[in-house]
Amino acid sequence: MDASLSLRGIRKTFPGILAVDGVDLDLYPGEIHALVGENGAGKSTLSAIAFGEMRPDEGTVTARGTVGLVHQHFELIGRLRVWQNVLLGREPHRGWRIDEGAARERVLAIAQRNGLEIDPNAFVDSLPIGVQQRVELLRELDRDPTVLLLDEPTAALAPAEIESFFATVVQLAARGTAIMIVTHKLQEVIAYAKRVTVMRHGKVVERVLTAQTSIDAIARAMVGGAVPAVAARAPTELTPCLHVKDLCAGSGATQLRDFFLDVRGGEIVGIAGVEGNGQSTLADALAGLIEYTGIIERSGTMSSIPQDRQREGLVMNWSLVENALLGRQHRKAARRGPELDRMRARADTQAIRERFDVRAANLDVAVRTLSGGNQQKLVVGRALIDTPAFVLAYNPTRGVDVGAAALVQSRLMEARNSGIAVLLISFELDEILTLADHVIVMYRGAVLGSFDRDAFDRAAIGRLMAGSS
Amino acid sequence: MTELIVTLIALTLVKATPVIYAALGGVISERSGVINIGLEGMMAAGAFFAVVASFATHSPVLGLVAGIGTGAAFGYLLAFAATRFKVDQIVAGTGINLICAGGAAYGLVLLFNQPGASVQVASLGDKYWVLVVAAFVLAAALQWILYRTPWGLRIRASGENPSAVVSAGLDPLRLRTYAVIMSGALAGLGGAFLSIGELNLYSDGMTAGRGFIALAAVIFGRWHPLGATVACVVFGFFEALQYVLQGQIAWLPANAMQALPYIAALVALAGVTGRVRAPAADGVPF
Amino acid sequence: MNRYTRAFAGPLGAIALIVVLMSLAMIVAGTSPIDGFTALFVGALGGRNEIGETLVATTALLFPALGICLAFRAGLFNIGAEGQLLVGALCAGALGAALTVPGPLGIFLMLVAGAIGGGMWGAIAGWMKARFGANEIIATLMLNFVAAAFALELVSGPLRGPLAAGAETAWLEPKYWLPALLPGTRLSIALLFALALAVLLQWVLARTVFGYDLRASGEAPEAARRSGINLGRITWLALTLSGAIAGVGGATIVSGELHRFNTQLSPGYGFTAIAVALVGDLQPLWICLAAFGFGILESGGLAMQASAQVPKDAIHVIEGLIIFVLAARRYVATRVEGTLP
Repeated sequence: MDASLSLRGIRKTFPGILAVDGVDLDLYPGEIHALVGENGAGKSTLSAIAFGEMRPDEGTVTARGTVGLVHQHFELIGRLRVWQNVLLGREPHRGWRIDEGAARERVLAIAQRNGLEIDPNAFVDSLPIGVQQRVELLRELDRDPTVLLLDEPTAALAPAEIESFFATVVQLAARGTAIMIVTHKLQEVIAYAKRVTVMRHGKVVERVLTAQTSIDAIARAMVGGAVPAVAARAPTELTPCLHVKDLCAGSGATQLRDFFLDVRGGEIVGIAGVEGNGQSTLADALAGLIEYTGIIERSGTMSSIPQDRQREGLVMNWSLVENALLGRQHRKAARRGPELDRMRARADTQAIRERFDVRAANLDVAVRTLSGGNQQKLVVGRALIDTPAFVLAYNPTRGVDVGAAALVQSRLMEARNSGIAVLLISFELDEILTLADHVIVMYRGAVLGSFDRDAFDRAAIGRLMAGSS
Repeated sequence: MTELIVTLIALTLVKATPVIYAALGGVISERSGVINIGLEGMMAAGAFFAVVASFATHSPVLGLVAGIGTGAAFGYLLAFAATRFKVDQIVAGTGINLICAGGAAYGLVLLFNQPGASVQVASLGDKYWVLVVAAFVLAAALQWILYRTPWGLRIRASGENPSAVVSAGLDPLRLRTYAVIMSGALAGLGGAFLSIGELNLYSDGMTAGRGFIALAAVIFGRWHPLGATVACVVFGFFEALQYVLQGQIAWLPANAMQALPYIAALVALAGVTGRVRAPAADGVPF
Repeated sequence: MNRYTRAFAGPLGAIALIVVLMSLAMIVAGTSPIDGFTALFVGALGGRNEIGETLVATTALLFPALGICLAFRAGLFNIGAEGQLLVGALCAGALGAALTVPGPLGIFLMLVAGAIGGGMWGAIAGWMKARFGANEIIATLMLNFVAAAFALELVSGPLRGPLAAGAETAWLEPKYWLPALLPGTRLSIALLFALALAVLLQWVLARTVFGYDLRASGEAPEAARRSGINLGRITWLALTLSGAIAGVGGATIVSGELHRFNTQLSPGYGFTAIAVALVGDLQPLWICLAAFGFGILESGGLAMQASAQVPKDAIHVIEGLIIFVLAARRYVATRVEGTLP
């Protein structure tokens, strides 16, 4: 059988990083092919090259027909309507004028053909994230692709939505489309994909039929060995730290509604929820960045690990030393009169570097030159170095390689063991179930349920995350 | 009294016209994602070269063409720098302003041998009203183009999320280039109106910040062509008011009154608070 | 291509560009570049008087350039230095004409008045940006025109000197003139103040907590906000201080150079200062050097015009080109207009 898409000898370098190193890949019609690898393995880069929006330094891409790509971070225009997003570049028109009626009809037609529901007239930024992804999918489907690439398609979907998503995908494959899913969710790979390609450090390290492999085998191939373990949980004495009640903040789809929460020193409380249900509003309210009504009582100092390190946590052109000060520069210990205490700052940075394994040539290189994992370790180290009473960790291992993720999770556990109160907001349910003593499920800005560790029920949590009980 | 009001209205429209052209240019440019701070310079360049062309050919129409062409050329310069080299658009625009202002002054000495002002040239004379009406017609046309045509949709998409435009198989950088060239051409036309429409010469500093007032109008008009036009009429009113009142009331501080349009622009800027959102990718190099 | 522009756009590249363009301008005017440049340097540095004038221009450029640098580092584009300078000069001139205190105290009060005047002018834009999210580029520029209009009105009327020939304030008594640095020239000790200010600014930016907060606001506003820095306060402070520094500069022109105020006292220093700040790579100490370079251009330009027939406006075109080319360095983290910082 002829491949619908063939990549041969693909090589791509970015400044200082070899992202893809001599990769061959074939996608066949009617097959679902999974591309797995940890963060930084080169999967998204390869997808972009296969789609054609990035050119490889070396190698060829041969495709029969059109290639579509649904990005991990949607490329949509929030302020425009669904039909405008779907049909941009292919707008139906009468003379010079866009034919809006025809446009709306066409969007409804594709949606129906693929068993999807959508309102063509809605503004994209008014839609929940799971539905927004549908818009991007429709845009690609309108081009009648022979090959469809999906990059982390279920990252922002509730467990129930994931099922219906894959129903659509399976139907597409049955009609002959060659499908590639880039993912790190191995259960989905085993359940739905026919073939798996594993990438590590830009190279293909394994090609196998899913029928002939297992989750463990794939995981080991991804990491190149055993997955590092997280620090052990120790018994702790709980002390009151954070008390939240009747918290209302924000507006629109992500507003908080009578949120309540208690986090004590010596425990990790996890907030489980699908992206877009008010987690950012909660984090901002707790950090004092937005206005709120209700009660937030906290004893002791607080530090945060923001969810977007590059935009919210670091000044990319600054050195490690200067970044290690960010958020800590107003403390009395950090200053000498109007000046910053530079010796102290360097010492602190060195301590963070050692304890959190931040790999950098020296303390004065720009943070921009560090890998994502090392940047994140710096941010986490900075949050923990002053031994705060309370730490807010928001997606602390997002976009980070497995080794760095394990270290970050270990340090959070150790912080908990030493009596710090940790609030963990994460879109990865597995991370929460591994680390938390107590889970709260968040849906549309409200608390829908809570579970203690000894009563964790993954299925029930999943249902609550989707809003049903 | 009625005569006074009629004069005021007529003068308002005339004073608003050059700013409208520049503001429409500002709208198109920013909608595509490029902040054109250089509107002021493009107006000056358009004004100057309109006079030069009129001087050389004795044809005001050719003067207009020259004005538009010069503006477009500087627009292309900005577009090229912004799309090809991803420069800081604001600094680049400021550079263009200084180049044009200095260049016009230089040109005055070089070509007319007198600093400060050019000789008098053939102007549009009574026909200048055509350009006044054309400004409003163009505003309506641009409004329609931006919101009803495929090209307009793609321009707006480029200003909101150029990556999405790439995903749709289009080239946002090329779209931005067209938009910025257009904005330069419009600013040049506005400048030409100043020099050979309203008057018949070029004098140093005659644009007097109108390119920036146009930017304030863009913001105040929420990046809609018609909205910006309304804002321009308001600013034009204050400029006209100043003239009319000076003629009528002797004790008015004539010099201080010159500040009126600028103060109006300041108030307008302050009036649109955080509810206003520019195109999401405005000013961000892609 | 980007590596090409980066090398080209550095300060050295800017100097190279200046030389090339000026040579072109000279050729166009019918002079050989060698003659032209000779005229320029002789006119700028050829004698005691000439050096004095060059350093006067240097001082006049250095103050607003430092102010602009401060604002830029905070992520703000202050093109209102011309107006801030004017308001500061006006306050100093008006106060000086009315003072009767001893000389040194009077000079000190005049400089303070300049700082307050210019600071106030910068504060208006700063407040508008911090409170309303108003675009500071447009705001500061509008304020330039407002300042020019108000200043002209005031010195034509209420503040006009009783013996003044035109629209200007009264001549200052000699005791209120800044002491000369180079006797026989117009150069006053204002130059030393400017240099000291540059050193102070460098220290503030590099070593103090305030400087850290300011730089963070300019380079990564969102990260700065989340780290507890009050962006609104930084914005307002940066623009106010920026205006104050330009205002002091205006005051030194009144006290040290002209000994009175009129609206012609600045041949566009506030705009040339933008080029100075950029060529100085937004570092206060390099800016001193850049100011000297541009001072040579400003004062030597007149001589060049006289003997080599190259109009001094050519220099303004060159300044514009330098700014345009330096835009490749991407100084200011672009922020979206109309939204709150």
